[in-house]
Amino acid sequence: MKRNRWIYISCAVMAATIGAGTAAADEPLPKAETIMDRFVEVTGGKAAYEKRTSIIETSAMELVGKGVSGTATHWGDTSNNSYESGEIQGVGKVDDGVYNGVAWENSAIMGPRVKSGEERADAIRDSMFNGTLYWRKLYPKVETAGIEKVGDEDCYKVVATPTDGKPVTMYFSEKSGLMLKETRTLVSPMGEIPAETLLEDYKPFDGVLEPTKREQSLMGQQMVVTVTDIKVNAEIPKDRFQPPPEIQKLLQKAAAPAPPAADKK
Amino acid sequence: MPAGGHRLYWSQILFFMHLSRLIAALALTAAIASPADLTPQRQDLNVKSFEYAWKTIRDRYWGTMPVDWQQVHDELLPKVENAKTMPEARAAMIEMIDRLKLTHFNIIPSEVYDTLGDAVHPGKGGIGEPGFDVRVLENQAIVTEVENGSPAAAAGIKPGWRLVKVSETEVAPIIKKVGDAYKDKTTRELYLSRSILARFRGGAGDKVAAEFLNGQNQAVNIDVVLKEPRGHESTFGFLPTQYVWFESRKIGNTGYVRFNMFMDPARISSLFGDAVESCEKCDGFIIDLRGNPGGLGAMSMGMAGWFIDRPNQELGVMKMKGNELKFVVTPRADTFKGPLAILVDGDTGSTAEIFAEGLKDLGRARVFGTRSAGAALPSLFERLPNGDGFQYAIANYISADGKPLEGIGVIPDVEVKLTRQALLDGDHPVVDAAVKWIAQQRSGK
Repeated sequence: MKRNRWIYISCAVMAATIGAGTAAADEPLPKAETIMDRFVEVTGGKAAYEKRTSIIETSAMELVGKGVSGTATHWGDTSNNSYESGEIQGVGKVDDGVYNGVAWENSAIMGPRVKSGEERADAIRDSMFNGTLYWRKLYPKVETAGIEKVGDEDCYKVVATPTDGKPVTMYFSEKSGLMLKETRTLVSPMGEIPAETLLEDYKPFDGVLEPTKREQSLMGQQMVVTVTDIKVNAEIPKDRFQPPPEIQKLLQKAAAPAPPAADKK
Repeated sequence: MPAGGHRLYWSQILFFMHLSRLIAALALTAAIASPADLTPQRQDLNVKSFEYAWKTIRDRYWGTMPVDWQQVHDELLPKVENAKTMPEARAAMIEMIDRLKLTHFNIIPSEVYDTLGDAVHPGKGGIGEPGFDVRVLENQAIVTEVENGSPAAAAGIKPGWRLVKVSETEVAPIIKKVGDAYKDKTTRELYLSRSILARFRGGAGDKVAAEFLNGQNQAVNIDVVLKEPRGHESTFGFLPTQYVWFESRKIGNTGYVRFNMFMDPARISSLFGDAVESCEKCDGFIIDLRGNPGGLGAMSMGMAGWFIDRPNQELGVMKMKGNELKFVVTPRADTFKGPLAILVDGDTGSTAEIFAEGLKDLGRARVFGTRSAGAALPSLFERLPNGDGFQYAIANYISADGKPLEGIGVIPDVEVKLTRQALLDGDHPVVDAAVKWIAQQRSGK
């Protein structure tokens, strides 16, 4: 255990050294694997991540310039199940979750929905607990695609391709090693929508740095999400991740045998 | 990859507004702004607001702009710069967006925006309602419905009565003026009814003098006591407070629902679902969208899911600049499979049109009534630097059959017009036509 810790501290030092200063134009870019590993280290390191067994995050959101606001709570643990429950002013409840491989969404606007295909794969990937630590499982292929600025900071641009789904592009600060931006294509039955998230105000929560401000942009709308609290290793009841009854009804229907042909219209 | 939830917040794509009533209501109240002289600071804010609105429209317009937008800018900016009063500055901004000749683009005076947004509105300019609805039928303003228990009902006002004067103002010239202005426009009926109902302005308890012709064409003068709005308060962002109501009942063994807006989804979607679920064995189902101006566009997908069993069925597509969003129905576990009738009229707009046309195009519903308002552009609301509200469309909406709704509207499968005589006789020809069709479907005739 002690030995392992030393190994990781060494890795952290190495990674930090690689990332220090601004890479000259003719310098080879660091490998994406190195950049990703450095992100793990600068946000706390493997040991800190592994100490976490559950997360309860609360956040507030505001749709910029539209006067729409809301709050949400996210529960996640090492089962890789997750549940997010939001309350948005003028809209009502919007819930989303992953439970034993079933990805679902239930909102007052759209009703209940079970996700499939790439959308399901994306949700399951997002639901992986300590996903930062296990990036190799999530993204078998990662490539450094260049250096780009995010705000004033030079960032390594890393394109991470999952087994199932569209590539996600991440931008890691050359200086700090922190991820400052992510772009991805949101996939749903409504279509494919490019989306961008700026990650800001990293703060420590039980030894792991997490961004406490996320500015999400899609289709010309900006939403600012501010994390108000993260509880690490708080007890989460076993049934917390159970999908709501509306989703269970859809799942039961999908599992039920088709009616005899004569009954079909 | 960082921990915590963010998937949920992508649901912001569902928050586009498709609301037509505001278009009419706000256009009609735009003239009440203060005529006070502008300070240099205020002039600067007006110029900033003009530039912001102009650039936003330029950057968000989904296709080739119907006018030379730069020329519009160069022509109207000096008017804003040199405006001596707010109404002058605002008129130039309204002229800018009017050049587009499209619905869902509005400059909303801050006075109106603020007043409408407040929850409590005592006195003139408040939220009082007359307790009856009006449509212009054959160039006459006719009461089409009187709310049970309202002061209007207590005063004896009846469906079919003709409204002749409001506050000493003759109604006929209003109908002529508005009717001519919107001649050949699908929004004509919407503007006509709203322009008349807008005359009944004031707080709950205020009185508005009105002259009617009753069923015997005798003049009846009534001080209409305005009442609190029907329904529950609903707020969404910077939109003015809306009052949302829902009703459901059975007509024989046919389910019937009606609601005034696609807003307050937590309550309305739930009530809608309850109504459908309680009607599993009904002969058919009627959704009355007459007078419904729309609201949150995405609600149409959730509600349509009570009637569509197959996955991946589209009501239509929202086409934006560089992107599109399909309005895909989310089927429920238990759907209603019987005949479905949807009722529309010229005051049916936006999300209500998306819902009706989508289900019609998918072959799931038969539409009864008269052509809808053809005002279905998805839009957003923002507050400008000078405090005014700014509504702008960000997409065109193409229905499942591939045609735009804007300027065309939903054309019913079965056209049924209201008549004054039918209303006086207590008949409901549009509902009756739908009930009759459902009965025919059930009997196989």
